[in-house]
Amino acid sequence: MANSLHIEGLRAGYGAVQVLEGISLHVNDGETVALLGTNGNGKSTLMKCIMGIVPLRTGSITAVIDGIEHNLAGQATEDIVNLGIALIPEGRRLFPRLTVEENLLLGAYRPIARDAIARNLAFCHEVFPRLAERRTQLAGSMSGGEQQMLTLARALMTAPKILLIDEPSVGLSPLLVSHIINQIRDLKERYGLTVLMAEQNFHQAIRIADRGYVIVHGRIEYEGSSRDELSNNALIRKLYMGL
Amino acid sequence: MEFPTALVLNAIIAGLLLGGFYAALSVGISISFGMLDVVNIAHPAFIILGSYIAYIVNGWMGVDPIVVSLVVSPLFFALGILLYRIYYVCFERRGQESLRGLAFFFGILFITEVALVLIFGVDYRMVRTAYSETTWRLGPVDFPMRLVVPFLVSVTMVVGVQLFLTHTFFGRAVLAVAQDPLALRLMGVNPTRVKGLAFALSIATAGVAGAFLIVIQPVQPAIGREYIGLVFAICVLGGMGSIWGTLLGAFVLGIAESFTSTFFGPSWAPAVSFGLLLAALGFKPSGLLGR
Repeated sequence: MANSLHIEGLRAGYGAVQVLEGISLHVNDGETVALLGTNGNGKSTLMKCIMGIVPLRTGSITAVIDGIEHNLAGQATEDIVNLGIALIPEGRRLFPRLTVEENLLLGAYRPIARDAIARNLAFCHEVFPRLAERRTQLAGSMSGGEQQMLTLARALMTAPKILLIDEPSVGLSPLLVSHIINQIRDLKERYGLTVLMAEQNFHQAIRIADRGYVIVHGRIEYEGSSRDELSNNALIRKLYMGL
Repeated sequence: MEFPTALVLNAIIAGLLLGGFYAALSVGISISFGMLDVVNIAHPAFIILGSYIAYIVNGWMGVDPIVVSLVVSPLFFALGILLYRIYYVCFERRGQESLRGLAFFFGILFITEVALVLIFGVDYRMVRTAYSETTWRLGPVDFPMRLVVPFLVSVTMVVGVQLFLTHTFFGRAVLAVAQDPLALRLMGVNPTRVKGLAFALSIATAGVAGAFLIVIQPVQPAIGREYIGLVFAICVLGGMGSIWGTLLGAFVLGIAESFTSTFFGPSWAPAVSFGLLLAALGFKPSGLLGR
């Protein structure tokens, strides 16, 4: 069944500061779309808007989950998660004083996820054997890379249809970033997820993205409909390659 | 100074029995203060309220106070939901919970106490149960039933709370809620609802602990204040948010208190208890079983 995300004319901000100045984008069923932009341009705010953490001022956000259209504007975060949309937030936001397993089981709180708990847990342990080894360790005592794996695995435990990922590369070594990006691709393919990924690391993001948007000062400045188009765009070459 | 074996054994057993009772007094604080970050200093007021309800129903129908407390625990649960709702709307939602929230619970403590004084006066009240006068003897060691029965029910209750918190989805959400409410919402959980129900559970345990109190010793409205220090000390000693820690901390302080009372006199007991707390925190700042 089709799962997609549609955003039209979205404006949002904090207090007197307007961060998003009329964003329109869409993520089609089964796509991986990259949201590119350097720090402070509104990528995280857009993610928070979709999840109902930051309220939108004008515009619309709709998601199609299993062929049914839902208006996300004004909905509580937990209700949006319960529709089948998961966010891997920037900064990971694990529960540091709970064990790896407790973090994973909390991911499976929503009723649909509980039904699939054994299968999803086995899958997470297969893809991230390190998490199986560290089941009883406190999440806060793991390394940055392991924490990022746990964040990914925990989001998968919610059994999402649409996955939003905010800056998976932050704080990781280049080798680990490459590893995590590969895992995101594998998970996406195995679960048939629809993915929107915000990332500053252009070269890594472009490896798995079907297409992408460049966000500058709260506006979509460029929409690239393929990897090649993105790689050869003048704005991207200026922002990311210094050319 | 001599320590005759019979006295030492009796002090340890009495301390364990007392510790079991202390665990019931503290488990609610371990939930509200240790897990939810709600500094409910009115907790002892609900314990005393539980004592008086058990006292009234016992006087009226002759039902055992502990049975009464278990039957009326849903009322305490409902009271907890109402109280958290007020606390959330008036303080927590506005980010004013630290000082004004504390003043709110302080007010609840005094209002409850004064209301009980106005209704029942300041006289001590006691409930006599079928087992109040019974004592089992095992060699030189005494097992007074007025301590044994509350001990057994208390340990069952505390172990039940621990199993509930670690083996259910809701329980795990309670353990996580103060660590990162937003991350919990991203798991599809409403943190306010989780906190409300967990706080209600903590108040329900206070009602049951109140029945133990009036079985063990005479109660008057202001006696709750004597337990404020003790319950927070046990919670911190055991480790914030750890129910097993609370149980262990309660046993440690119970035995320390019983030992000190037996060999050095009851007036030294609080000093030894709090000295032990300081020493334990010096060696392990997160508490005995704190994460």
